[in-house]
Amino acid sequence: MVSQKVTVKNEAGLHARPASALVKVASRYESEFFIKMYGYKVNGKSILGVMTLAAESGAEMELILDGPDEKEALDVLVKLFENKFDLNAE
Amino acid sequence: MKTEQPAILSGKPAATGIGIGNAWILEKESHTVKPVKIREDEVEEHQKKFLTAKEVVEQSYEKLKSIPDDYDALEIIDAQIQTLNDPEVFKSVNAKIADEKYAVDYAIFSTFNEYIQLLEKSDVTWANERTIDIAAIRDELIQATQKDKKGLTVKEGEIVFAEEIPPTVMVELSKIKIAGIVMEKGGFTSHAVILSQSLGIPCVINVNWKKGKLKNGKSAIIDGSTGQVILNPSWKQTQEYKKREEDEVARFQKGLKWAQKPNQTACGSGFTLRANVEFLEELPRLKTHGAQGVGLLRTETILFEVHEFDVDDQIQFYSEVLEAAGGESVTIRLFDAGGDKLLDESGQEANPFLGWRGIRMLLDKKSLFKKQLEAIYRVSGQYKGQVKILIPMVSVLDEILEVKALCELVNKSLSAREIEFDEDLQIGVMVEVPSIALMAKQIAKHVDFFSIGTNDLTQYTLAVDRGNEKISNLFDSFHPAIWKLIKMSKDAADKEGITVAVCGEMASKPEAAACLLGMGITDLSMNAGSLPIVKSVLCTHKLDEMKELSSEVLKADDTEKVHKLLESWRAV
Repeated sequence: MVSQKVTVKNEAGLHARPASALVKVASRYESEFFIKMYGYKVNGKSILGVMTLAAESGAEMELILDGPDEKEALDVLVKLFENKFDLNAE
Repeated sequence: MKTEQPAILSGKPAATGIGIGNAWILEKESHTVKPVKIREDEVEEHQKKFLTAKEVVEQSYEKLKSIPDDYDALEIIDAQIQTLNDPEVFKSVNAKIADEKYAVDYAIFSTFNEYIQLLEKSDVTWANERTIDIAAIRDELIQATQKDKKGLTVKEGEIVFAEEIPPTVMVELSKIKIAGIVMEKGGFTSHAVILSQSLGIPCVINVNWKKGKLKNGKSAIIDGSTGQVILNPSWKQTQEYKKREEDEVARFQKGLKWAQKPNQTACGSGFTLRANVEFLEELPRLKTHGAQGVGLLRTETILFEVHEFDVDDQIQFYSEVLEAAGGESVTIRLFDAGGDKLLDESGQEANPFLGWRGIRMLLDKKSLFKKQLEAIYRVSGQYKGQVKILIPMVSVLDEILEVKALCELVNKSLSAREIEFDEDLQIGVMVEVPSIALMAKQIAKHVDFFSIGTNDLTQYTLAVDRGNEKISNLFDSFHPAIWKLIKMSKDAADKEGITVAVCGEMASKPEAAACLLGMGITDLSMNAGSLPIVKSVLCTHKLDEMKELSSEVLKADDTEKVHKLLESWRAV
């Protein structure tokens, strides 16, 4: 299991479009993916779960991955947060 | 049998055209789902039903994708498919069936409702808004689990009356040649509206049609240009609209040929016709309909779609519009929210049209405002000389000065970051509050151009709420007072050497456009659909005829006289 803390950097927060991008990318990996924020823990491959976080810009969260491709997945997901969820910047 | 009286309902015009036909009511599916328990041996069957329903709904969404030219809709559809395949939803529905022994429809119902409640409780606006789409999936899934699913019984040539139209139903409807769509709810950005525009189906939204006892098969007329819906029209009304429909079609065909010709009156005098634009979907029409750029780019829609959208989103939107304008100018109207287009946070106002809207709201929301200015200026660096800013809902000079001060701040910050922008970017003001028209001489000293918004100017001058159907007969842009205010604005602008454009609905009526041209207003902007017809009329008349018309109109004592003058002018 690997984990890392990240911050939502895009101005609009983790709204529908970024949430969709996050789930899309996470679903490519076999590893289980959870997001922990303010004591909540949601399945990072669940679009509805991610949306219920309603994370605004500046929100901090922990990405937790568990599975055969956990390291690779974590790297890519952290980068996605840094690129403000721009799928083209992958 | 007693003949029923015609009833006129008014709503907002969402897609132009006239439709005459019988009413067909889209019944809202009742989703009264009860917590029915099942037996252990039924569990598997219900879980299978869920899988099948998921497939059926997913397929219907995949089919939606095949409708072209609709980027936003595509994104919505993708998000819907993602929600359908949400692994937590899958787990929860199956657990509710297997462990709690609930029937499949209730399992779906309660699973989605848990998420909807969480999102509704959120303080974040976008999260609240998503619940509509999630509820739509919930209902479609439930409907798909119910065996006796009714098909649509609507026939070709009928007018559909609905509370709102879900995307899947809209696709079904697009295969049948319906005469029009009347919706109680719906916004200009709703999928149904965008699709009716691209399919050429007349559409009127925000019509309170349920209060009359409408039944299937009753005759109706829909006018997608004015937002009027007539139930049980009289024989005379039907004939009138049939004639108008024929005229419109004939003129439109004739007009399209004109679209590619130079903008010149019969005597060789030039004019400029631009398009009013709100959606990216409208852009391809700029070229086919002969628009010279965009005279009014409405930006509220992007504000409503992505509530706290960032500068980059805006830059992309503006750039796409500028690309489509092909070297011509694009006048970007600052967010004109409020009035009938209320932001959630503004709450209920007693008089929204006289309230916190347009520039009044923007000046109170500086961070939002600065973001828009930054986006516009940054785009202007790439398209120098093409971008203009238009300030909406100005009623006092101070508002203009404050906007200009903010623009300077933004410019300084861009310069400091060495970001290029157009230093000569023109800033103009909407003439839509009478105080501005009356003070036009003073105002003109501080701006680069006027753009006259005739709809709001009419509403504020005549004190007629344009959304109130009880007084809709009083709402008439041809009232002599409106022409006088336009003339005053034009005269003041001439004195100060600034330009005047008209971007209201008035310009889309050919005779009115001719009259404006006669007054010396050569820059007209309207919905792209009206361009060819307006152009054909302007190209086939001499400027002298138009001048004569406008001088007659300016002398008219009442609205009826103006109408008569304009009608007889075209007949000549």
